[in-house]
Amino acid sequence: MIEVRDLVFSYRKDKQTLHGLTFSVRDGEIFGFLGPNGSGKSTTQKILTGILKGHGGTVSLFGKDMQSTHTQEFFQKIGVLFEFPYLYANLSALDNLNYFASFYPKEQRRDAEELLDELDFKKDFLKKPVSSYSKGMRQRISMARALISNPKLLFLDEPTSGLDPAGAVLFRKIIEKERKKGTTIFLTTHNMLDADLLCDRVAFISGGNIAALDTPGNLKEKNSNHSIVIDYLYQGERSEKTIAAQELKSGIPFVYDELISVHSQEPTLEDMFIQYTGRGLV
Amino acid sequence: MRKVFWGLLKKDFKLMLSSKFFLLALGSLVLYSCYINFVYVKLDQKIYPVYLYDPQNTQADSEYVTRVDSREALEAACADQYSVGIDISEDRPELYLLSSGLKTADHYRMIWGGAVLNGDMDGQAAVIGINDKEMKNRREITAEFLFFELSAVGFLGLASMLFKEKQMGVIRVHGILPVRRPLFIFSKLFLLLGSDLLFTALLTGINLGFSHTLEVLPSVLLQAGILSLIMSLAGFLCAIRLPDFKQFSLFYLILAVFVTTPVFLAGQTGAAWEWIAYHPMYHLFVAMKSAYFSDPTAGAPYYMICSGAIILLFLLACRTLNREMAKEG
Repeated sequence: MIEVRDLVFSYRKDKQTLHGLTFSVRDGEIFGFLGPNGSGKSTTQKILTGILKGHGGTVSLFGKDMQSTHTQEFFQKIGVLFEFPYLYANLSALDNLNYFASFYPKEQRRDAEELLDELDFKKDFLKKPVSSYSKGMRQRISMARALISNPKLLFLDEPTSGLDPAGAVLFRKIIEKERKKGTTIFLTTHNMLDADLLCDRVAFISGGNIAALDTPGNLKEKNSNHSIVIDYLYQGERSEKTIAAQELKSGIPFVYDELISVHSQEPTLEDMFIQYTGRGLV
Repeated sequence: MRKVFWGLLKKDFKLMLSSKFFLLALGSLVLYSCYINFVYVKLDQKIYPVYLYDPQNTQADSEYVTRVDSREALEAACADQYSVGIDISEDRPELYLLSSGLKTADHYRMIWGGAVLNGDMDGQAAVIGINDKEMKNRREITAEFLFFELSAVGFLGLASMLFKEKQMGVIRVHGILPVRRPLFIFSKLFLLLGSDLLFTALLTGINLGFSHTLEVLPSVLLQAGILSLIMSLAGFLCAIRLPDFKQFSLFYLILAVFVTTPVFLAGQTGAAWEWIAYHPMYHLFVAMKSAYFSDPTAGAPYYMICSGAIILLFLLACRTLNREMAKEG
């Protein structure tokens, strides 16, 4: 779906933002693009969505090179959720969605009301102006706008930002549903939980370079010290022991009266990011 | 493409409605028309008073002349820089007047003084064109109000509408929609042009009357269209380039003070500046005024320069729009 080879880009002649990124995104995959502010993830996404031109290297989407002029057909196939909910504040949710949907062929469009219902949007607000909505409601309409054209490729920038925990869970379910439909998803986020739960593969980008690219599971496993912490009671006293995972093959290798908890010491995705890039996800 | 353009037009129309653009235009129309019909057409310049110092009583009395007893009294009477003095105490009559600062006005005062001295006051005014005083006033002020409305208010109208879209961030969304980007500009231009032309037709119709309007409307609409396109595109560019409305307001002030004021001064008063010939807005102003007097003075170079300016501004607007779409949130 997406093929990127040696992608370079500079906003100014003396300052290069992207230093030769190479990656590919397969059809129907959720690909996480993770990095701190200023790492080049937004720039990469803008190049992929055809907003930014003048890059070096090769970038192709749907088998076509991005250097060639983007046809209306290209924009009909993509959906983009921006980091901020960009909407007409004087129009209602329905008017916004109907306006944006009007640029796509009729047979491609989804029903705005059904979509908002799926996104758990409060029905009382359907016809009220966006200026009266909360941040979470605006994020729901933005997601609906990205999905209304039934895109084959979906770019999501911080999809769960501004949502309460229930909203975040709902959004993850919707993203999963899109994947099941065969939509390819390019997810840009700071949120490690979203990336861990949703992504088939993730790329860590730092300083315009890809520091690591693999499945979240592999990344964590490769860097795990394979140890387990066991919390237990013995002769009325509570103790904790760290053992190698291999030692568990023949059962708990020490005496105890009662096991309280067993924790694997697998690193988190955030630990991995810091390890690969030397920077936190600010 | 027609459907896409229609969608953009509908959205822009709603934005214009919500920004009270049409209400503002209607308010301007009412205000200008009331001023023209109830105030301006009744205005007339006070005749230049003439003071005569004639110790030998050589001149007959006239309704236009006030006699004074001394040279000092004559000079005191003319101290207002408006009156004209005639001293015929010597063999050779002398016209005495203090300059008003305006060459043209001083020239008229001298002509009037000479005419009074020679008793040639009646039947000397040449009839220029087909307008009586009221119609001349109506055409003149309507042209000026229209120029002001299109160059200042129209510019502000589009910019304020665009600032709203910029603040809402929706311009960026259009970068990923299956919409040709120039259409985003075209739809706004189309609406603004339509609204400005309607305003022009109504303002002209109300203040010139039906038959006079029919006579000048095609050429007035042409000039209004040129001015509307130039100012709308300039407003579009400024609204996208400048980061906030405060800076835009400052720029607008500079535009009003340094760009349009000299044009009004040169057109309305006797101020004679040679450099005004290089001021682009002055030529637009003159072309508008000429159109109202059915005296098209603008030639092919004027229309070529205007077309070039519109194309250049449009290309710059497209480029600026592309940059805005690629900006960070």
